[in-house]
Amino acid sequence: MADTSSANAGTTPLGMALMAAALALPAVRSAHADSAPERASLAFKWLDYKDSQLGEDRIRVRAPSALLVLPLSGDWAVGGTLTSDAISGASPAYHTTAITPMHDKRNALELNATRYFANGSLTLGSSVSRESDYLSRNLSVQGSLADESKNTTWTAGLALGRDRINPSTQIVTNEHKRSTDVLAGVTQVLGTHDIAQLNVGWSSGSGYFSDPYKAMDERPRGRRHTTLLARWNHHFEASSGTLRSSYRYYTDSFGVKAHTLGLEYVQPLTQGWTVTPLLRLYTQTAANFYVDADASTDPFPPNPPADWAHYTEDQRLSAFGARTLGLKLAKQIDANWNVDVKYERYSQRASWTLEGRGSPGLAPFNARSLQLGVSRQF
Amino acid sequence: MLCWPLLVALLAFAGGCALIQPVQPWEKGVLAKPEMSFESDRLDSNFTEHTYFSKEAASGGAGVGGGGCGCN
Repeated sequence: MADTSSANAGTTPLGMALMAAALALPAVRSAHADSAPERASLAFKWLDYKDSQLGEDRIRVRAPSALLVLPLSGDWAVGGTLTSDAISGASPAYHTTAITPMHDKRNALELNATRYFANGSLTLGSSVSRESDYLSRNLSVQGSLADESKNTTWTAGLALGRDRINPSTQIVTNEHKRSTDVLAGVTQVLGTHDIAQLNVGWSSGSGYFSDPYKAMDERPRGRRHTTLLARWNHHFEASSGTLRSSYRYYTDSFGVKAHTLGLEYVQPLTQGWTVTPLLRLYTQTAANFYVDADASTDPFPPNPPADWAHYTEDQRLSAFGARTLGLKLAKQIDANWNVDVKYERYSQRASWTLEGRGSPGLAPFNARSLQLGVSRQF
Repeated sequence: MLCWPLLVALLAFAGGCALIQPVQPWEKGVLAKPEMSFESDRLDSNFTEHTYFSKEAASGGAGVGGGGCGCN
């Protein structure tokens, strides 16, 4: 979340929210268990993110991030990521209206330790993320078990999250949010050039889910969601390229249903260069307590129906579709060094939703991000 | 919340896998390429997942753990 702002301080709340996310830390660990790393690695990446609506700048994020992976022996490895992001710009108080200045900083640390076995692995992880108004702590355990041939790998994971929320608006104090995530998955070698994965995830949370920096925002104090993720990687012998495809279905207790399709093609070139164009398509329905924009109430937000106990005018819970186009260029300099650059453009439009007509009255939203990375193996 | 249908899908996928011709260890050279992994650049995926988490209602699916944020 973000810090928000008082006019004097020049901060704004909402903005944070969008922003923080853009940078944060996070870390979603893959559900596919790899074998123990043979070498240590250190990587740095720098992100420059910027979004806008109808030519009006909104949020800008600059975030350096570092990753360390350290094998301790043949059976153990430890690692972690550290991210520090600076967020500035402006964010709407409701729908795409009442753009308010904001700025914030966020620091996040994630640590993990993995024990590798002959046919599996067990990873313990912890993370903490601190903003001026939001503290998030998380513990996780994830295990994998492969069959004798190592062509089939089963994965299971559990994570517990505890968040503490103290917005600068003091609309609430010492609010909390608790979450439990469970994941089960299977990764299957389909052939010498194909590997696929299917994950099913459940999440259940309770506590404060509203956005304290948005006008007209009163959300349920619980949220459950279910995801189904299918991924498939195929290597083309003729071109030496690899197509990485994914599909995710998402549904939650807010009434949101979403589909995400991802495609990227990794093409090695000469002298260690690799180019990867990517496409991502996304569509979601609106939360069942989302209140549509209504220009007739300007300059005030529309009131929700009198009999609604929960309501939101957050653009992120509206019905829309989105598209990402990107290109990544990487260079393997030698056996130890690798550098990369990635550029993406993201566009969000209500009319692109696949179900229904999309939420009316929202300004088109666009974003672009640039990543610069370098990594070294030891 | 579609828990059972999804669990059935997972088991059906696993059942179908049993019909696949096993790949021998010496045939896994291509599968060992970094681009054949489901997570080839951790910092990249961290940035990307969080960016989408801040702008869309749906999230998750690839794993568990990691830090939350006030992105609501």
